[in-house]
Amino acid sequence: MIAQWLAGIAAALWISPKTWIGDSSQVHIHVWAAILLGGALSGFPVWLARSHPGQALTRHVIAVAQVLTSALLIHLTGGRIETHFHIFGSLAFLAFYRDWRVLATATIVVAGDHLIRDLYWPQSVFGVLTASSWRWVEHAGWVLFEDVILFVAIRKMLQEMSEIALRRATLEGSHVEIERQVVERTAELNKTQAELLETSRLAGMAEVATSVLHNVGNVLNSVGVSAELATSKVHEFRTGSLKNVAELLQQNSADLPAFLATDPRGKMLPDYLLKLAVHLAEPQQAILQEMEMLKKNIDHIKEIVAMQQRYARGTGVVEVISVADLVEDSIRINTASFTRHEVNVDREIAQVPPLKTDRHKVMQILVNLLSNAKHALDQSEGDRRMTVRVSQNQEGMLEIAVIDNGTGIAPENLSRIFSHGFTTKKLGHGFGLHSGALAAKELGGTLKAHSDGPGLGATFTLTLPLEN
Amino acid sequence: MAQYSITAGITGTPPEQWPETSHAQRAPGLAQLVMFLHPRCPCSRATLGELEQLMAHCQGKFGAQVWFIQPEGMDEDWAKTDLWHAATAIPGVQVNVDLHGEEAGRFQAATSGLTLLYDAGGLLVFHGGITLARGHSGDNPGRDAIESLLKQKSSHVTSSPVFGCALAGEKLQTECTACQP
Repeated sequence: MIAQWLAGIAAALWISPKTWIGDSSQVHIHVWAAILLGGALSGFPVWLARSHPGQALTRHVIAVAQVLTSALLIHLTGGRIETHFHIFGSLAFLAFYRDWRVLATATIVVAGDHLIRDLYWPQSVFGVLTASSWRWVEHAGWVLFEDVILFVAIRKMLQEMSEIALRRATLEGSHVEIERQVVERTAELNKTQAELLETSRLAGMAEVATSVLHNVGNVLNSVGVSAELATSKVHEFRTGSLKNVAELLQQNSADLPAFLATDPRGKMLPDYLLKLAVHLAEPQQAILQEMEMLKKNIDHIKEIVAMQQRYARGTGVVEVISVADLVEDSIRINTASFTRHEVNVDREIAQVPPLKTDRHKVMQILVNLLSNAKHALDQSEGDRRMTVRVSQNQEGMLEIAVIDNGTGIAPENLSRIFSHGFTTKKLGHGFGLHSGALAAKELGGTLKAHSDGPGLGATFTLTLPLEN
Repeated sequence: MAQYSITAGITGTPPEQWPETSHAQRAPGLAQLVMFLHPRCPCSRATLGELEQLMAHCQGKFGAQVWFIQPEGMDEDWAKTDLWHAATAIPGVQVNVDLHGEEAGRFQAATSGLTLLYDAGGLLVFHGGITLARGHSGDNPGRDAIESLLKQKSSHVTSSPVFGCALAGEKLQTECTACQP
């Protein structure tokens, strides 16, 4: 509207800047009209639009002002037919409100203007002194013609907007539902992950317990052998011969010296007892040896159980520990098993700083790696060799590598060896390496596998930060 | 503003017979239209527009000449405005400069837009304006009357109000006001 106002002033200045009397002139009244009347017609609706935006009154005032501006512009341009197109442009402009009532207001103003002027001053609008009293209807009819088109367009536009709004609302509703489902699924996923972590932790503990039991079983086997040996030795005692000697002595108790001196059986008795004593001493020695072995094995069992209990105090306790001791304890838990399966264990322990970590988790990982290496070596023939190497890499991280020359790993299995449930053992569960990898991650480290292929052994490397 | 638009200027009393002293040329046997314009009158653009229509509607039926007033103290450039050029662009219209308003004085013209129609015999048959209001184009009784006369039809209108700026200063205005019936 401000642009229209300025355009009106420009038109007045261009078309009729001055009015003349001979060679003297003054500002044309059209210029003042364009400035003052045009200013009022534009200023008031602009003020309303700023102070009362969106109100129905503002829209209708703008409609009235717009068509009156058309009238002013028509007048300023000398009633040019071409300027009348401003009316139709204004109606199209007002149609942007998408409110048929605004168009109705503009139409009433136009029709009313023509009606009043038709009645009282026809030459000002129709250019004739006497016009038909219905000619205003003809002019208003053309405005109505455009109104009908605009009404249809507005109706169609509103329908489309309504449909778009409905679609958007539906879409936003779907978004909300999807977001709700995402939140729900995420919570479920978090819960499942926590459960999985707990399961893995328990599986890791079970793995350690299995190793302990396996080794205790091995030692108990030796205990059983010792007990059996001792029993068989006891059976070798000639308690019947001793009983016969005792009964003979009891029968001749009345004159025992004469029996020993004169009776041929009595004379042989001392030699017999001497031989019997020698005979009893041999199994006694064997039994004593077995008892010693038995005691040693029982001590071993006690040691294994004590170690397991030490590492099973629970996770989450961070301690400063010696890496060498930790590795040695891990090997010791499996010693009986290694001995039984004739596995030679080499140690390459470099000097590394003390490790500040969760002892149980590292122990769990190492016991599992040693147990896996032993299984890999079970099927190997020849030298069954395992190396446990401790070092510090270039990044300053601790590396504990368990290297075996066992069955090795096929390339297609390397990528999934840490997956939950994956195992190549007949009686395996696929928990050990999975839980080991998770535990390593929890400790800020990694667990990686390498193998040049089947039959070429494997290397599992646990990397841990030294400053945890 | 409405009042201003419909306030007519002085029509004056033009001579009933073509003035002998006039320098305006008249083609023999042909009606002659004489129009006086102020070269800077904004209202007169509509008058020229109406003249253009007359020329189109009644081509060859009359001779037309437009006189642009050049008051004393003003040079010829003052008179040759865009309105002048608009007039020269109308085919068949002879455009002249009326030095010091002498010709306007002979024809008693006081208001820009005054249009006089003399018949082939030099008798005045119409005088007045050919717009309905100041600067407003469109159908009007003056133009209708001239058209009817040129087409040999009768017209009961022989004069009409003239809307435009005053051609000259107070002296001529006073003279012409006094001449009004």
